[in-house]
Formats: sequence, structure tokens, C-alpha cells
Amino acid sequence: MNAKLKWVSLSGLLLIAMNCSAFDLRQSLKDKLNTDVPQINPKLVEAVNVVKEARGPDEEEEIAIGRQISGNLLGAAPLVKDAKLQKYVNQVGEWVASQSERPDLPWHFGVIQSEDVNAFAAPGGYVFVTLGLYRLLQNEADLAGVLGHEIGHVIRKHHLKILQQSQLVDAGGKLLSRQVGGDDKIQNLIGNGAEIVARGLDKDAEFEADRIGVVLATRAGYDAYGLPGVLQQIGHFAKDDGSIALLFKTHPLPDDRLDKLDSAMEDRFDRIKGQTLEKRFYRVKK
Amino acid sequence: MKTKLINSISLCVLLCAPAAGAAESGTLTKNDELKAEPFRDAKTLKVLAAGDKISIVSKEGGWYKIKAGKSSGWMRMLSVRKGDAKKASAATGLLALSSGRAATGKVVATTGVRGLNEEELQAASFNAQELQLAESYSVSKADSKKFAAKGKLVARPFDYLPEPK
Repeated sequence: MNAKLKWVSLSGLLLIAMNCSAFDLRQSLKDKLNTDVPQINPKLVEAVNVVKEARGPDEEEEIAIGRQISGNLLGAAPLVKDAKLQKYVNQVGEWVASQSERPDLPWHFGVIQSEDVNAFAAPGGYVFVTLGLYRLLQNEADLAGVLGHEIGHVIRKHHLKILQQSQLVDAGGKLLSRQVGGDDKIQNLIGNGAEIVARGLDKDAEFEADRIGVVLATRAGYDAYGLPGVLQQIGHFAKDDGSIALLFKTHPLPDDRLDKLDSAMEDRFDRIKGQTLEKRFYRVKK
Repeated sequence: MKTKLINSISLCVLLCAPAAGAAESGTLTKNDELKAEPFRDAKTLKVLAAGDKISIVSKEGGWYKIKAGKSSGWMRMLSVRKGDAKKASAATGLLALSSGRAATGKVVATTGVRGLNEEELQAASFNAQELQLAESYSVSKADSKKFAAKGKLVARPFDYLPEPK
């Protein structure tokens, strides 16, 4: 009970201090403790820090981390030089992301030059699909489902949580950077290059992103079965193909993902019709 | 070099095969009803059993049009897995080994060309030019709405799915 009350007042303080860095927050709380409100348990300061750490970096920091990771990923595989393709995935991606609870992130989507079959998300709204995966898609609903899965990782902050778990992100430090050449401080946090995208998330995060992918595609007016269709395709063609090795290493197997989607979707989508927009789908040259 | 060529050829073969219009094979993962039309309330033609082999003719929403022996009809897509029957987790032997996975599901050493692998990603260095290019393609909310309207996409509410037990 007591703890609950503390939580309420703590949240209030946090709301006020939301835009301060953790350091400022700590300092201002300390000041407060030393002056106006000496009756507050000093343990509160510690609690605030714990909460701040649980909350993780703020949005600006999140985007800065995502930029660094994306710049590195593009260092390994540049964009496919097809402006129409890139514009198209941004149109679909922005529309799907608008259906999420974080519509106002600066979303960026891209197709990267790699025949591997994979897709990547980085914090703050960066989503990349390999050309190898793009070639597997048969219509716009497939693309919406795949992008929806990656958008799911971003909105649920799956990669940020990994960084926090491995204590690579020090919540007390301010990590802002808009530097063109990337930022050493952030680079130190995310490890080498873009290795964070090669590190698997836990299985539950992947299953969650699958569930979000079908729902966001549905909200956007698409056929819900784009993502499951792509998973069918991946599970079918690639068991011994090197181009899919990393995806299989970092994700549960497609059959398991389809089983989980089946139990989650049940008959909820039976009466939901959606568009596939096969004709509008932008096809890449062989 | 040679491996790369062979790899891309085999990829092409795999990717081009469905486009050639050949029906793909599939296997039922559970007992389910074969329907006359692609919806749940449609007439049930017969019940197929887990493990039954079928061929997939086309897809519509969450349904595959399939052929199973002499009968044909519609089957829920998620009751089917593409490919021939493999006794689920008992996929051992050559197949499992060649994919770099032992039967335990643990990832073991893999050989061959792997493309975007961990080493490459680790070694990657920041490419500011490509990042700026990527960011230059971003689309405004207003433009994405126009794009959606052109495709007759209508936004609609739909709750997130609960985690299945």
C-alpha cells in the first residue's frame, strides 16, 4: 500500500522531469530532497534511478542509437539503387507504421543490396529488408506484413531492451548525436559495427512481432495473411540454403512461428477482408 | 566464386519454380475440414488428416485452394505447411545437417557462402552517405494517406492479439 503511494508520487515527479536527462533528474531530486521535502524517504532517489533505468533511453536517444546501427548496416549492405523501389517501400511502411501506437517516429524503410533473405529493425524507426527477401514477396500485403513485423520490434523496443539487459546502455548518460559521421560514444554502446542486428532476440519477441505484423497490416486495410504467406515460403524453400542461415539462427523456425500465429489468430480474421494489391506491387528486375 | 554461382543458380531455380505455375506440394499439420468455399461457414466436403499430402493450387486470404487425391476445395492456410511431409521435429540426417542445425536444434558450424553474416555485420563501418540517402526517401504522413487511398486501403481498428497459451 505504502509502496503504491510512493509509486504514484514518483510517477508524478517523473512526468515533470520527463525531458530532463537522468543526471538533471537526479540532481533536481536531490535538491528537492535537501530543501522543500525533507520528509521524503531518501530511498526515493534510488527508486527514481531504478525507474529511469527501466524506462530506458528517451526517444531522441533511441533514434540516435538507431541511426548509428543503420549507418553500420548500410556499410555492410548498401541500398538497392532503385529510387522507385525505395520510395515504394517507404509509402507502404509509413502507412503501416501509422497504424501503430508510435505513428510519429521518423520512420525510414529501405531495401538493401543482399541476396540473403532477411529483414532488420533498428531503434527509432529504421527498417530494412534485403533484396533476397523482397524477391520472395508476391504482393503489397506480403510487404506490409513483413514491414509490420519489423515495426513491431521498433514499437516494443526489443533491441533497446537487449542493449539495456547487456548494460550497454547506461541510462544515466546522454547519448545524443546528429553527427554525420556517426558517433563514437554510441558506437561503444552497440558493440562492433551492426552486430546487434545479427544477435537474436528472444523467441517471444519474434512471436510478438509476428502477431503485431498481422494486426498492423490488417489495420492498414491489407489482407492479414501476407506475413504468414511469406513464412510459408521461407519455411519451404530454404532449409539448407546459406542465404537464409542468419535468419534461421536469429529467429525461431518458420514452422514454429506459423504454429504460434495459428493459435493466436484463431478465427479472428475470418470475416476480415483485405487488399493484396498484387497489381500495384513494385517488382524488382531479376 | 563457383560456389556463389551455384548458389545463385539454385536460388533462381527455387524462386522461379512457383512462378512457373506448377502446383506446390504441402502437408497438413492437423486434422481440418476441406471446404467448398474459402470461409469457415462454407460446406464441409470432407475432413483431411494431419500428415495428408496435398497440392496447393492458389491462395486467397487465409485459405489455400488445394487438391487432395480426387477431391479439391479450400483449406485453412495455417493448417498446411508447404513442402513434403517431414516428420516434424524428426527432421534428422542430411537435411538437418546441411542446414547447419543438428537434430537438437542447436546451430552448428555451417559451410558455404552465407552473404550477410555476423562477421560482415560486425566488421561493417558507418556509411553516412547511404544513411542520408535512405533517410531522403522518407514519406510524409499525408503522402502515405494519399498512397493508401489510391490503393483503396481503408484503415480500421483491430485489437492486438493476446499471446497464445
